[in-house]
Amino acid sequence: MNGTEEKALVERCRRGEDEAWRELVDRFGQKIYSVAYHFTLKREDAEELAQEIFLKIFENLHRYDGGFPLVAWIVSLSRNLCIDRYRRRKREKSFRFVSDDAVAPLLTSQDDPAAETLQKERTKLLFSALAEIPEDLAEILVLRDLDGMAYEEIGQALALPDGTVKSRLFRARAEVARKIRERRESSGGTFASIAAVAGAFV
Amino acid sequence: MSCGELERLFVAGAPEEEARAHRAGCPSCAALGNDLDSAARIFSTLRTPEASRFFIASLQAIPSRTVDCEAADLLAAAELEGEISAADGERLAFHRSRCEACAEAAGVLADARGLAAPAPAPWVLGRLAASRPEKKPRASIWRLVANPKGAIALAYAAAVVVMLTGFNPADLARKAGVARLEETAKMSAETAGRSLGDRIGAFEEDAVRRLAVWKGHVTGYGRAAISRAIQLVMKTESQPPPSRGKNGEEKGYLRKEETRTEVWRA
Repeated sequence: MNGTEEKALVERCRRGEDEAWRELVDRFGQKIYSVAYHFTLKREDAEELAQEIFLKIFENLHRYDGGFPLVAWIVSLSRNLCIDRYRRRKREKSFRFVSDDAVAPLLTSQDDPAAETLQKERTKLLFSALAEIPEDLAEILVLRDLDGMAYEEIGQALALPDGTVKSRLFRARAEVARKIRERRESSGGTFASIAAVAGAFV
Repeated sequence: MSCGELERLFVAGAPEEEARAHRAGCPSCAALGNDLDSAARIFSTLRTPEASRFFIASLQAIPSRTVDCEAADLLAAAELEGEISAADGERLAFHRSRCEACAEAAGVLADARGLAAPAPAPWVLGRLAASRPEKKPRASIWRLVANPKGAIALAYAAAVVVMLTGFNPADLARKAGVARLEETAKMSAETAGRSLGDRIGAFEEDAVRRLAVWKGHVTGYGRAAISRAIQLVMKTESQPPPSRGKNGEEKGYLRKEETRTEVWRA
């Protein structure tokens, strides 16, 4: 769907066409829920956040001028809500502790229980590291590596040049990777044993 | 600590081979590269969390729960006129609970209705009253009735109309069954007529009687006057001439020739 079609879709939503709004939800509902989940790591919170984002989208449809892709506009609208929720979670004592339930919806099913356990531990490690890096780096990492947005869309959503997006993304990856390595080194025995059981290289 | 070349190559969008070549010759970037590869493997194993169907359905129902800011303006105007449906009222209230700007606008509009009217300075009312042009009283039937001339004119007009229409109050009275009233009126008129005749007769008798008395008086006075005149004539002829006063005029008596003349006249 190009910019003109997206603009037309928004216009139809503004005119009160239920079918158009259903189409918009079908196109972006899953994506926005995914972004919300990556910021909250809890199903209930993610649904609440995504609901809030779509309410905001509906109430601000008249502001969309078709200047850039609809997904970028939606992310720019939802950015403050996501950051607010992320900061709220950060203030909780258990912020850096990522539970099994939190990562369960993100895991692919594995036939081997040991491999499944290893994947779960790696994922928990990833989100623990993510929680320790600055917000401006974490949000770009989530949008790019977890939600698969293009550099251009991220730049439009966050009002940043492509070069800044790439630079921040590189630093975010480097920070997360370093923290993962440091944690693995500090609890090396546990990971080595899991890896040995799973037969995978860690 | 990396030398920064890997970051520069990444931002510049250099081919992967170029980055690998640099990592092969730079120990710090090699370590960083390994960490990045390890993190990338974790990312690649994750899947997208799926939203439930019920949740997606709740998103699709959003238009029935709220309105956008432009629609809120229209609904707010309708609300002030009391022309808003219950469903739209709920959507508007929900939107205001989330939108500070619209809630503020609604508050300002509501407050505007409760503002007190500005009181003018004391001299303003006097000046306004003085500058007000005199208003000609409107012609009104009540003003015409209140005016005696107008009332008379109206009465005449009404009488003429009644006459022209052939309306007879007696017919109305008869139709209304007021025959007894008519008889009573007739008897009263007869009684009044009789009473008037009696009074006229009595007045006539009294007048005749008084006329007779007056006639007698006049006759008596006449006779007395004649006899008195005769006495005077006789007294004048038998007495001496009267003395004269200091001024040469006679004192109380007529001259002889004058007296005679008077007598003959009488």
